[in-house]
Formats: sequence, structure tokens, C-alpha cells
Amino acid sequence: MPSHVPHSSGLQRLIAQLAPLLIVCAVVFALPVLLNNDFLLNKVARYLVLGILTVSLGMSWGFGGILNLGQAMSFGLGSYAMAMALKLKTVPVHTGASGLPDFMVWNNVQHLPWFWEPFRSLSFAIAAGLIVPALVAAALGWFMFRGRVTGVYVSIITLATMVVINLVIIDQQSYTGGFNGITDLAQLEIFGVAFDAYGRATYYLVAGCVLLSLLVAFAFTRTKAGLIVQAIRDHESRVRYFGYDVALYQIFVFALSAAIAGLAGMLYTVVMEFASPTFLGVQLSLSVVVWCAVGGRQSLVGAFLGAVLVAGMQGALSESAAFLETWTLVMGALFVLVVLFLPKGLAGLAQVVLRWIVQRRHAAGRGVAQGVGQTEGST
Amino acid sequence: MSSHLDLRDVSVSFNGFKALNALNMSVRKGELRCLIGPNGAGKTTALDIICGKVKPSAGTVSFDGTALQDLEEYEIARAGVGRKFQVPSVFRELSVSENFEVARARRTSVLGNLRWNIGNSGRADVERLAELVGLTDQLDRPAAYLSHGQTQWLEIGMLVAQDAELILMDEPTAGMTAQETRKTAELFARLKGKHTLIVVEHDMGFVKAIGDVISVMHMGQMLAEGTAAEVEAHPEVRRAYLGSGGISHA
Repeated sequence: MPSHVPHSSGLQRLIAQLAPLLIVCAVVFALPVLLNNDFLLNKVARYLVLGILTVSLGMSWGFGGILNLGQAMSFGLGSYAMAMALKLKTVPVHTGASGLPDFMVWNNVQHLPWFWEPFRSLSFAIAAGLIVPALVAAALGWFMFRGRVTGVYVSIITLATMVVINLVIIDQQSYTGGFNGITDLAQLEIFGVAFDAYGRATYYLVAGCVLLSLLVAFAFTRTKAGLIVQAIRDHESRVRYFGYDVALYQIFVFALSAAIAGLAGMLYTVVMEFASPTFLGVQLSLSVVVWCAVGGRQSLVGAFLGAVLVAGMQGALSESAAFLETWTLVMGALFVLVVLFLPKGLAGLAQVVLRWIVQRRHAAGRGVAQGVGQTEGST
Repeated sequence: MSSHLDLRDVSVSFNGFKALNALNMSVRKGELRCLIGPNGAGKTTALDIICGKVKPSAGTVSFDGTALQDLEEYEIARAGVGRKFQVPSVFRELSVSENFEVARARRTSVLGNLRWNIGNSGRADVERLAELVGLTDQLDRPAAYLSHGQTQWLEIGMLVAQDAELILMDEPTAGMTAQETRKTAELFARLKGKHTLIVVEHDMGFVKAIGDVISVMHMGQMLAEGTAAEVEAHPEVRRAYLGSGGISHA
């Protein structure tokens, strides 16, 4: 290989790695042209948002080896940040200019709580939807990773933390809407564009965020820091003895993943038109793990597609008469099959099939003559 | 001449078992020191103390004037100490070249490493390292596919990539064929002088081939120190470890 120009081979590899991501995003953007049904489009947008959430888990689990069973916590925090801002926008219409959100009135709250006050600004809410989950994750990560907590204990701690926050939200009904969540929201409006949940604008907003979060996650995995995070997944102490502060890298990827999950949560509020404690519930959080495993946790695009396909299937099955009662069984069986036979998920299967095709083509191209550098030719 | 690395009265105990009992050792800059001794003598523990994996319950470790015993592992590594483990420790899911890339720890901060890595600035460096340890045609394969000997070499190459001043090697030739062991000895001879090395080894042929000074440990203490011939002649060493046949038959 000495005659190769190293720079171009790196660039080629980059393009090859980016291709699946760009193809998938192109399909996502083209879908409204084929799908002339606003109701269906809203449903697809919902699955796309869950796809972003699953990509965020893939970053921390697939690349960082940190199985965060409370990924939906970040999602829920983002979702509530957006819902609070959109709820305050309805106040002048519902209860008058100096009024309060309707559920607070029903709970006899006299003044807007201090932590609601800044959410009058939409830009603050959007920033909070990213930063609050990241900060919570960083604080949690600080305690866990400084204390060298690993493996299943990380999963237990993250799950427990999410449950606690979930219970607090349900308990504090007068400030959070409690069990009902925050409903009856205004439409999101940015630069004069109104994002109706069933409108094309919302779909394209979600599609843009899909592209953005996939690119951010991809860019991170391509940096040296991203490489070090993967090295930590493989052999934590080995990384430490090269002089890297392992805990800081873990905290970073944990917080970045939480911020992306927060973005997904904000979009979910826009698409669903409410925020609910179930958004940071155990069921959703564990579903994300299943989607991620089915799609392939070490592939960002795989994790994304896994969520869209499996969540889509869940939706279809749970609405069909034949599977009304048994769809959870079907999903469980799918998960077991994937874990047993496809440890790298659908993305791993795609890789195997692709390699097989390339090899077949090579064999056909070369005919009887056996090439010398057979392994090199496969790039 | 002041020494480069200095262990003074270092003790450590695990559940009452004294793995090191007031160990003293000094190593000069650029030296290749071999550490031998029977099983349980505390050789690996001595390396663990230097690189911070185990904290001493008493005593001091100084390296170039820096007290190491109170530092975190990553701080000790940044001070210039590299460690090869007895069980070959590499990143199995990363390719060989990515393994080298992680080991080239020029910058260690998270933000400093958040730059895009497409320019291949270190590619020439990585290829040079691969040539040094004979892994040139394995660069793009995952480390999990390497043979045991190749994995050992990969980790040795990663330590060269780290470019630590002091390199601690725990049984680097374990599981290698005779030919591989000879190549490793040649490699170590090249590292000597540029780096300071401490090598724990059982293979006496290897020790004789590479070592300037041999330190013999026994029951957590330093038993003897000297050239191969001196150590061999030492009566207590013969009794504790080598047997009457001398070094070559151990």
C-alpha cells in the first residue's frame, strides 16, 4: 500500500461511512412527497423522534459502553422544558394576561413558581431543554464515574434516578400537572413559522433534527475523543494508564448523549402536543434499549432505523385486531431472537450481507485467477 | 549519581498478607532492569505500586523528583510512566492502527481531543510503529483477531507510541515462541538508553540476553542485585529461587 496517498484513502473511508447516514436522511426528507397523509406523517415524525432518542442511547451504550437504562429521563426533561414554554403561551388566551396555566388555577396556586418564570422566553426553554438534561447527566456521571461505578450498577443507578424524578413530577401536581402531564399547549412558533403537529413544517423540523443529531453523533465518534471513549468501552484501565482521565471522557459522552435525548424530548412535545410523566417512564426507557439492540448499538444509523422500524411495528401491531392482545409477546420474541443470533443487530446483519456481496463480486471479477492482494482489494 | 526512580521502604498488604515488606529499589536513567523472583515474591505488585494501580501503605516512590505515591493513575502516566500488563491488554474491538492512535497520548484533555481526525497526521507515525513490532499488514484489522504473540507485540508497540520515559513490562514474552522472544529481546535492546525499562520475566534466557542489572525479589523484599553472574553466585538467591543448577536451569 505504499503507493497510496494516505489522505485520499481517509477521505474515501469517510465518504463510505457517511453514505448510509446520508441515504437514510434523504429518504426521511423525501417521505412527505410520497406520503400524502398528514395523520400518517405525524405518526412517522413521532417514530423519527424516538429514533433520535435511540441514537443518543447508542452513543453512550454502543460507543461508550455505558448502558443508561434511564435515557428517557433526559428525554422527559427536554419534553417538559418545551411544554412549560408552550403552556405559558396559552395563558393570555385561557386565563387572561396576568393569569396562570390552567392546571395551576385548578390546584389553587396563587403565583407562578420561580422556576416557571424564565420559560416565558422560548429561547430559554430550548436552551434549557438541551442544557438541563446534560447538566443532570454530568452531575450523575460525576458521582458514578469518579467513583468508578461500572456495568450493571450504572444501569441500576440511572434507572432509579429516572424513577425518582418521575415520581417527583407526578407528586408535585400543582407545579407539573402531575399524572396528567402538561396538556393543551400552544403551537411552537419560531421566526414566524408555526409548527402545527400535523403540518409539514413540523415534519421537516423533525427531519432536520434527525440529520443534525446523526451528524453530531457521527462527528463525535470520528474525533480522537470519540475513539478514546470506544477504547474505554473495550478496556477502561488500559486507557487510564495512557494518561487519560477516564471519568471525564465518560462524563462527556454521557452528557452529550443526554443533550441529544433532550432535543428529542422537545420535539416529542411538539409532535404529540403534550408532555407526560410516561415520557420519562420505565416502559419507554427500556423500549429504547430494545430498539437500540435490534438496530445495532454500535451503528448510529442502525440504532436510528431500529427505533423507527420496531416502534413503527409496535404501533401497527398494537392497532391491528389480530395482535391486540399479543403484540408485546411478538416484540419480546423479536428482542430475544436478535440478542441470540444478531449480537450486532440489524446493522451487523447488513454488514455481513454487504461483505458477502462484495466478495462474490470480486470472486466473479477475478474468475479463476487468484489475486495476490485479495484482502486489500475489498476497500 | 542520583537515581531516576526510587522506591524507599515501600510496604503494602492485602488482607494481612504483606505483598511488599519495606522494599527498596533504585533505577538509573536509561537502564534496563530485570526483576526476577519466585511466584508471590511481589514483582507484579512492585510494578503496580509504581504505576499507581496499588497504593502503598507505607513508603515513598519518587520519579525524577516527583512523588508518585499520592497521584492518580492517569497523573502518574502523564508524569512519564507506561505499563504493560501481564495479561495482554489491548482494545479488542478497535483496529490495530486505532490502538496505536489511542496510545499516542500527546494531548489528554477531552476538549483537546475533540478535533476531527481525518487528516491522518499521525498515520506515518502509526506505520513506523507497526513496522517496529511487525504488524504492518494487520493495521486495519480489529485487535481481537491477532494471535497471542501479536497481541503482546501490539501492547509493547502501544507503549512505544506512548513514548513514556519509564516503561514497566510485566512478563512481555509470556506465550511467545522462541523466535518471537528473540525478536522481543532485540526490540528491548533498541529501547534501552532512550527509555528506562523495568522488566518482570521468568524466561531466564531472555533475562540474560537483555538485562544490565538483575534485581531478585523474595517475600516482598529485595534479596540481591547485580549482573547475571553476580546474582547467580549469590548464595541466598540460589537457595530461595534458582536451585543448585544456576540461572540457566531455572
